[in-house]
Amino acid sequence: MRKALGLSVILAALVAAICVWQQTQEGRIAFLSSYNLRNQLTWVGLFGILSLGQALVIITGGIDLSVGSVVALVGITCAMILDAGAGVFIAVPVALLVATGIGALNGTLITKLRIQPFVVTLCGLFVVRGVSRLLTGDASEGFGLGHEKLLWFGSGAVGIIPVPFIILLLFSAVVAAFLHFSPVGRHLFALGANEEAARFSGIRTGQLTLAAYMLCGLLTGIAGLLFAFKVQSMTPSDFGSFYELYAIAGAVLGGCSLRGGTGNVLAVIIAVTLIVVIKNMVNLLAIASQWEYIVIGSVILSGVVIDELFTRRQARVAAGAH
Amino acid sequence: MKRFYLWAVATSIAIAGCSGQVSETGETTGMHDSPGEDNVQVAFVTNNASDFWKIAKAGTEKAQQDFDVEVLFRIPANGTAQEQQQILEDLVARGVDGIAISPNDPQNWTGVLNQFAAEVPIVTQDSDAPESDRACYIGTNNYDAGVAAGELIKKSLPAGGKIMLFVGTLDAQNAQDRKKGIEDTLADTNIEIVDTRTDDVDRSRAVANVEDAIVTHPDLAGLVGLWSYNGPAIIQGAKSSNKLGEIAIIAFDEEDDVLQGIIDGHVAGTIVQQPYEFGYQSVKLLKELAAGDTSNVPESKQIFVPVKTITAETVEQFWADLKKLRGAQ
Repeated sequence: MRKALGLSVILAALVAAICVWQQTQEGRIAFLSSYNLRNQLTWVGLFGILSLGQALVIITGGIDLSVGSVVALVGITCAMILDAGAGVFIAVPVALLVATGIGALNGTLITKLRIQPFVVTLCGLFVVRGVSRLLTGDASEGFGLGHEKLLWFGSGAVGIIPVPFIILLLFSAVVAAFLHFSPVGRHLFALGANEEAARFSGIRTGQLTLAAYMLCGLLTGIAGLLFAFKVQSMTPSDFGSFYELYAIAGAVLGGCSLRGGTGNVLAVIIAVTLIVVIKNMVNLLAIASQWEYIVIGSVILSGVVIDELFTRRQARVAAGAH
Repeated sequence: MKRFYLWAVATSIAIAGCSGQVSETGETTGMHDSPGEDNVQVAFVTNNASDFWKIAKAGTEKAQQDFDVEVLFRIPANGTAQEQQQILEDLVARGVDGIAISPNDPQNWTGVLNQFAAEVPIVTQDSDAPESDRACYIGTNNYDAGVAAGELIKKSLPAGGKIMLFVGTLDAQNAQDRKKGIEDTLADTNIEIVDTRTDDVDRSRAVANVEDAIVTHPDLAGLVGLWSYNGPAIIQGAKSSNKLGEIAIIAFDEEDDVLQGIIDGHVAGTIVQQPYEFGYQSVKLLKELAAGDTSNVPESKQIFVPVKTITAETVEQFWADLKKLRGAQ
């Protein structure tokens, strides 16, 4: 909770700084226009679902680097099945099945063969990207005309709230209930904090880890479809590239330690919002494009450093109290 | 606890503050002062970060001075459609008066471009989306570029002979157009195009293709590279086959190896596009469109920037100018 509060303060300060800057320099706060807010909530929805899946895996002490490639494969699979004339009710489930299947494969290799998650999913990153290029022969995929209803899920809105953001809220509620209010969620944290201890206390760590990777795969699949419906152009070689890093950045800034065992759904969502707002700021304030990554990296690093310093201070205070 | 929040607030304000300063000093095309009611602001969006776009940027900067218009030059770091979409959204939110863009995937992007064209005048440059509601296209006519290459081939091979073409893939529209232009120009000459080899944009395969071609057809008189990297690949392949200087080499675009080859005398010439003009003319047209002036938009909604043929006579001046443009920030 403290984490979520701290991030909210940083986010609020950043938003305030953008508004003050725009008001004084341009006499108009474009950031707060309904057009801009709607766009930003859409991206928060899309990247948020990715980070949510990633958070589940990171809490177990693992990582999933194949996310960006899976986003591409899912969108391309869906578009190709639709192109072939099959309906939405075949294309969407098959695409989600592919994503969950990749998660299951990752999880199986990690739990059964005991290969490190970084290695397994790094190979997944390459292989899955290659499969997308192979399937399409490097030709870009889109949806053409006649799929407006489907595209609505990625770019539409209910009232002023974008659909991807609503979907993110729904999944956040489910994942938060599971993580923070169910015994299985507690087992997941225990597994991430100390796998051996968790196993000795009777938790089926193998099954739980496998489930985390499959859930991450499914959430990535859902985000991948929504990205496809929003962007409507999928170049096999670069669609979704680097998304695993944004997903990890959101989860880590949101308090999921890469050592496992910690994490909070609300904090992850706020962290993702912060990253999206930074990207928005770079364009809105017309900061030179070359600065984009520097600003994003610096903000994430500052957040993590501040958190680390604070945690140490707390530990010192606690130690002093003894 | 309190100190944590203070830290957090101070850091984020510092970051926002620094970035604000960056926009003032770091980028000449950024905002200098507040755009008032009469101050027109347009944006130029590239499809990746490359030397090609540095030349275009120099053109936008000249137009910025000539037409008293503010230009935001945006470069998507990974060159993806998603980044381009996010940039377009942010530019529209910012309230720019017009946008010139080189769409990453024009075929699938008709619908997305139309959404933006409903908000603000859109000019496609470098790569066109003819089905969309864009106001105009400014760029190269690749058929004409092919014709220019054909003329250069004729000049280089007055006695005729066999030639071979090399390109990344033949399903790209610009490759087809360039090939057609060359074929039509050479139709009733004694120059024969024996084959067109593709390499799927794999540079080592591009070199291997050239070497194989020379082995298969020892009597080849000319080698033509249709995409920029094919030029250096042909030079490398001809070199390893000891044919450098014996075979006429014709290339596209301004790769350093190709320009050096022209100076050294083993490349006949290269056909170059004029990204500087893409930048200059896009900004000029957007400024006019912002004022509701469509008088310079032709019926076809396509403005073709002619290509230039660079040969031994013109290469040194061209390269010197190019270095100046690339260096310009």
